[in-house]
This record gives sequence, C-alpha cells and structure tokens, in this order.
Amino acid sequence: MANRLEKITEWILTLSALVSAFITVLIFVFLLIFGLPLLQGGQWFDLLASPWSPREGLYGIRPMLLGTVYISLLGMAFAFPLSFGCAALISVFAPRSFGGFLRKVVQLMTGIPTVVYGFVGIFLLVPMVREILQGGSGMCLLTASLMLSILISPTLILFFVDGFDRAPRSHLDAVAALGGNEMQQFIFVILPNAWSNVLSGIVLAFGRVLGDTLIALMIAGNAVQVPGSVLESARTLTAHVALVIAADYDSPEFKSIFACGITLYLFSAMMVVLIRSIGAISGRKKR
Amino acid sequence: MKTKILWLLVAVILPVFAMMANAHANPLDSFKGESGTIRIAGGTAHIPVMKEAARQIMAVNPAINITIAGGGSGVGIKQVGEELVDIGNSGRKPTDGEIARYDLKMFEWAIDGVGVVVNPRNPVRGLSKSRLQEIFAGKVVNWKALGGADKGINLYTRDEASGTREVFWQVALDQKEISSKANVVVSNGAIKSAVAGDPYGIGYVSVGHIDETVAPVAIDGIAPTLASVRERKYTISRGLFSNTRKEPKGLTKKFIDFLLTPEGQKIAADNGFIPVK
Amino acid sequence: MSWWLERTMIIFCWICGFTLLAAITTILGYLLYQGLGSINLRLIFGNTSVVDALLLRKHVFAGLFPAMVGTVAVVTLSVGFAIPVGIAGGIYMAEYARGGVKAVLGFCFDILAGVPSVVIGLSGFALAIFLHRHFSAAIYPSLFISSLSLAVLVLPYIIRSTQFALESLPADTRRIAVALGATKLQNIVYVLIPRSLSAIFSGIILAIGRCAEDTAVIMLTGAVAFAGVPKSLFAQYEALPFYIYYISSQYANQQELLSGYGASLILMLICALLFFVASMTRKGVACQALYRT
Repeated sequence: MANRLEKITEWILTLSALVSAFITVLIFVFLLIFGLPLLQGGQWFDLLASPWSPREGLYGIRPMLLGTVYISLLGMAFAFPLSFGCAALISVFAPRSFGGFLRKVVQLMTGIPTVVYGFVGIFLLVPMVREILQGGSGMCLLTASLMLSILISPTLILFFVDGFDRAPRSHLDAVAALGGNEMQQFIFVILPNAWSNVLSGIVLAFGRVLGDTLIALMIAGNAVQVPGSVLESARTLTAHVALVIAADYDSPEFKSIFACGITLYLFSAMMVVLIRSIGAISGRKKR
Repeated sequence: MKTKILWLLVAVILPVFAMMANAHANPLDSFKGESGTIRIAGGTAHIPVMKEAARQIMAVNPAINITIAGGGSGVGIKQVGEELVDIGNSGRKPTDGEIARYDLKMFEWAIDGVGVVVNPRNPVRGLSKSRLQEIFAGKVVNWKALGGADKGINLYTRDEASGTREVFWQVALDQKEISSKANVVVSNGAIKSAVAGDPYGIGYVSVGHIDETVAPVAIDGIAPTLASVRERKYTISRGLFSNTRKEPKGLTKKFIDFLLTPEGQKIAADNGFIPVK
Repeated sequence: MSWWLERTMIIFCWICGFTLLAAITTILGYLLYQGLGSINLRLIFGNTSVVDALLLRKHVFAGLFPAMVGTVAVVTLSVGFAIPVGIAGGIYMAEYARGGVKAVLGFCFDILAGVPSVVIGLSGFALAIFLHRHFSAAIYPSLFISSLSLAVLVLPYIIRSTQFALESLPADTRRIAVALGATKLQNIVYVLIPRSLSAIFSGIILAIGRCAEDTAVIMLTGAVAFAGVPKSLFAQYEALPFYIYYISSQYANQQELLSGYGASLILMLICALLFFVASMTRKGVACQALYRT
C-alpha cells in the first residue's frame, strides 16, 4: 500500500515536470505551425530582410527587427555603466548603511510593474525629451531606451553585487595587508572573481530588454521604419505583435506576427544557452 | 344604458392609453428580464457611444454584461466574421469581399467625419489638400513653411486595421503615401491625446472626438465640424457601422435596435456624431 | 594606478548611485504627486454604492472596481493552475530527476522562463482561435485563456524556486529521517518540504506579483477596455495593468487620466506589498514550519 502510494506520487511528480517541459516545446511548435506558410522555402530570411508594407503585399519584419536591436543595445549601453557603478558602490565603496539602503531600493525596484514605467514615461519623460532635445515628438528610440535602462538596472545590479560579494575574504585581506586600498581590492580581486556573474547578468538583462513589450509600445512611437537617429520613432518586434494582432486566420499579417514570435523565441533561447555556457566555463575554471 | 356607454368608453380609451404608454415606453425596458453577454470589438471611434449605451443597459439590468474592445475596423470585421465577438464595429463600410465572405449584416447608426487636428498652441488652422498630402508624405517637415513655429512636424497616424485611416487615406490623401516616420497609435482617442500633448503634432481623428484639447484644421477652407459634415460640405466623412454575422438575434439584436431608437441616436448625437434618424 | 583615476572611478560610482536614486524618486514622486489626490472610494466604486458593488447587485461605471476584480480573478486562477504543477515539477527536479533527464528538463525550464511574455500571450491567443475553430464556439480569448497563459508564464519560476529550496537543504537534514527508516516520500512530505516551505512560499508570492503586473499576456488573451465584473470563466474582463495601458494613450478627459494615476499607484502598492510579504516570509514561515513539525 505505502509502496503503491510512493509509486503513484512519483508518477504524478514526473508527469508534472514532463508536462511543464513539454509546454516549452509546445509553444515553439505552435508558433511554427501558425507561421509555417510564411516560412516555407527559406522565406524566413526574406521576411527578416524585407520591409513592412501590407498594401504592397510585403510583410517583412526588418524594421521591427532592427528597432528591437537598436533599442535593446542602447538600453544596455545606458544601463550597464549605471548598474556597474551602483553595484560597486553597494558592495565596495559606500559605507555599509548607505550600501544597504541602496540595495533595498534596488530590490524594491524589481517589483515595480512595467506598465507603470510606461505610464510615467508618457507623461514625464516624453515631454522632457521633446522639449530638451528639440527634435521629434519625444516618442523615440532614446526615450524608450532610457526607460528600459531603468527597468533592467535592478537585474544587472543584483547580479553584479552577487558577483562582487563572492570575492574570498582571505584574498581581500591579503591585498589589504600588502597595503592595497579599496580600489586595488576591487580591480585585482573582486572583478576577476565576478566576471561570470557580470556576464550572466548582462545576458539575462539583454533577454529582458528584448522581450519587454509595454515600454516600447507606449513610448517608442511605433513607426514602421528603420530609425535613422535616436530621436526617431521606432517599433520593436514585441510591440509589433501587440499592435498587429487580428483574428483573421488566413491573412498574411496574422502569420507574420508568428514570424516575430519565432524570432523572439529563438533570441531568448539563445540568451539562455549563452548564460548556461558562461556558467559552465566559469564552473570549469573554478575546478 | 349608461353602463354600456361607460364600457364603450373604457374599451376605446384603454387601447389608446396602452398605445400612448407604448410610444413613451423606455426602449431600455426591452432588456428587462434578459441576461447574458454581448461582446463588441473593432472601430475605436464608436467606443464612447458603445460605452454609454452599455452603461445605460447594464444599469437597468445588472444581469447583462457588455464587453467592449478596440482594435480598429479591420479587427472588428474579422473578429465578428470569425464569431469571436457578437458585434464588430467599423468606421468604414465593409468591402463586398468581407460582406460575402462572412455573411455580414451592416447597421449604420451615425455619420461621422474625419478631421485633421493640431495642438491648440499651434496657430495653423487651415491647409490646402495638396499641402496636407505633402505633410503626411513627409515632404514638408517644418511648421514654419505653414505659418507656424520653426519646429519639426510630428506626424501621428493609425495602423492598417483602422477604418479612420482608410477613409482619410482614400478621400483626403487621394491614396498617396503616408510617411513611415509617422508615429503609429492604436485608436482615435490615442491620436487625440497624443496631439493634445504634443505642441508640434498633427493627426486625423473622428470629428466626434474633436474637443477643446485639440484644434481642428480646415481643409481647403472648410473646417471639420458637425455642421459642415451634416451639410456634406466637408467631404471626408463616413458612416459608423455595427456589423453582425448573419441576422442578429436575441440580446445582440436588442442592442443594435437600441442604437437606432431615439435614445440610442441621442447618445450618438451627444458624442458628436450625426444621427441617421 | 594613478590617484586621479581612482578618484574618478569612485566619483563615477557615486554619480551612478545618485542617478539611480534620483530616477526612481522622480518616478515614484511624480506618481504620488499626481495620483495621491485621486485615491478615494470614488476612484474605485464610481457613483455606485460600495455595498451594491461588492454584492454585484449593480455594475460599477467610471470606477476601478471591475478592473480590480478582474486582476484578482486572473491572478487567483493562474496561480491556482501553476502552483500544483509547479511545486510537483520542482519536487521531481530536486528529488527524483537525475543525470541527463534533469539537465534536459532544466534547460527547458530556463528557456520557458526566458520566453518574452508577449510570445506567451501570442501562443495563448492562437490557442484560443484554434480551440474556437475546431472544438467549441464558446471558447475565445477570455479569463480562462489569460489565466492559462499567465500560469505558463510563472510556471518556471515556481518550479525553480521549489527545486532550489529543496536542494539547498543541508545534507544532514536530508539523511536523518531516511536513516530512521522513513521512505523517500515520507522524508519529502514530513521533513524536506516543511523545512523549505518559506523559500517555496516566497517564490509563489513573487509569481503572484508577476501575474498581477503582466500586461502583454492579458492584452492579447482577453483583457478589454470595458467589461464589468466577469461572471464566467469564459468572459472577457478588465484588469488593472491593461487599464493603465489603455488610459495612458486614450484617456477621454482629465478625470479618466487621474484615475490612470490612481490605478498605477494602486497596482504599485499591491506589487510592493507582495514583495515585502515575500521577503518577510522567508523568516516568518520558516519558524512556523519548524515548530509545527
């Protein structure tokens, strides 16, 4: 009896895990099936490379693809130095009390809903960018990247801090004993120990920027063009999916958003593979 | 004898009273005792009217739920065609292809114009049609040339599913291109609030949505107003349609009937549209 | 390393710290400044009396009540779907899965955790269309489809937090009961799970927060601009995050805009509260669980 209970429980647990893992595959298969007609015969690459102009029968996602890449890269470019500085402050340079306070604030920031960032972005950041930089409507690549950098900074900072705190106490003491100051501890002990965390943090945050929908949808302007400057309006893959969604099964628009979905899925899967290989490399190094 | 006359009087008067009562009956009474949901999606110009009608109906009968989503005319027609919603609104007449494919029944309940709007702080109040086309094609990029400040023009447009865009593109732009630099927003309300917030913006919006937060721009000397649309002087106009797949039944039918009653038409008029009745 | 370079570096770090603080203070301060005045019963219940609204005797118009009920409903349902499967999956990963199977499953969960929410929303939408066409005309984007999609969104978080909670227990704890003759299942149920309850619980709370704030999934799978309180699983509904998104671009008047600020504040308060509960329970529940067993 007890033995049977054990078996049944094990069965249920196994099934749950398998079902969950199967969903991962299922989502991809689902996207493939719906997007298939547009993907047959290597058309996926055409799709990635051609512009979007439904009136001429063009459903390419090149502008959205580039929009996504630009916004993400710019967002990372803002967020990385900011987060690096904050993390260094928290774990090394700031007095313990202030560092602790900043860490709490950062942790709390992870809980702020994305849509709230977008909301404040529309009414605060967009007019600011428009008035100060005097070009365009303020709904542009720059605005969205700035807001996104605030969104992902907590992720980056927490990863960095985690890495910085990993430095072995004994090594730090050794540097101190040799007359090294905090900065030297940071450069020669803390950083070399933290690089795998720093890298994982960057990749993870990059995945988040790529996948974020609301901020770009609300404040990037959504123009279907490859933006020529940071003050121009742009559309991301995610915003495109949210904008185009329509119920017509058979329309090419409907299928093209599945191409966006597949692209996003592959992007994010690639990020996961990257993080895992970073982990594996640093793991091997430690041994 | 007297009693007979009395009975006769009663017999005559009662139906008259009943008829009068009927004529004055609140059209909302037809929803009494009903329950269920009506799902509505599509045209965004329609939304204020849909909301008000839904409010009135749901207030007399809490057992009815009416859900309203936007998406644009294209989405409305497709969703009702796929039977994902009960009523699909469109700010343009469905094409013959759409009507045949989905067996659509159309109910036009108001006339609406599509007007060009700018921010009230912008002094430009009139444009020629050819200028307008140049602006939306991205060929004229500064307000200065048009009598405004020395600032870039920020274009706001709608996505391809929009009926408002379709009408504007057909009639005002003569099917000329809309610059790809234009910001794309999702509804009439969104264009209005975007232009209201952007001193250098220009967009096009349902005349019913024009209020004091945006300034209408006359095209070839004719301003988009309720009067000019009604008198057919302002030509960028269209009907507002509610479409169903096949003949509407039950609650859906009652809802559409309600839109065409005097009360329903009053809601349309209150929201800045021209009633059809 | 020159003294100047060191100075610059340290000053740079301080600038970063204060920039971040300034940014977040501005965002929160702006919301509070604009929205605090609008928070009252009217914001939530409009002109309807509170009792009538709560008993669903009357619909609430011009109030956040339907959106709040919608959010609560969608969060409850999705977490309800995700918790049993997620915890079971997590226990399997920690206690039963070994070797290659474990690696493959773990890889799948990591990928699922990384899939952008809009893609999950898109799949949910496609699923609804598919079911609508081939199974039942009564299925369309709705509360049910939204909660399923959100459940998928948070499933990997729950699995992983359960798994890590169990795996981080000290090896001694793991061996004692077994050494005394307990079976594997008994060990899991009576020893391992009670000890890791707090970590599992805080994972769940974070998952709830994720469900409550996500907008991309629900906007594709059934959240609409106007709906009233949902009365069935297969109804469309209003939700707070979608309401904020909707109001941000299409507010009709100043009052609606104010209610958008109010809604943002309320959503943020809910998320902050969940966050605090999650970090507090790490200690609290651990004590309780220890005393009970």
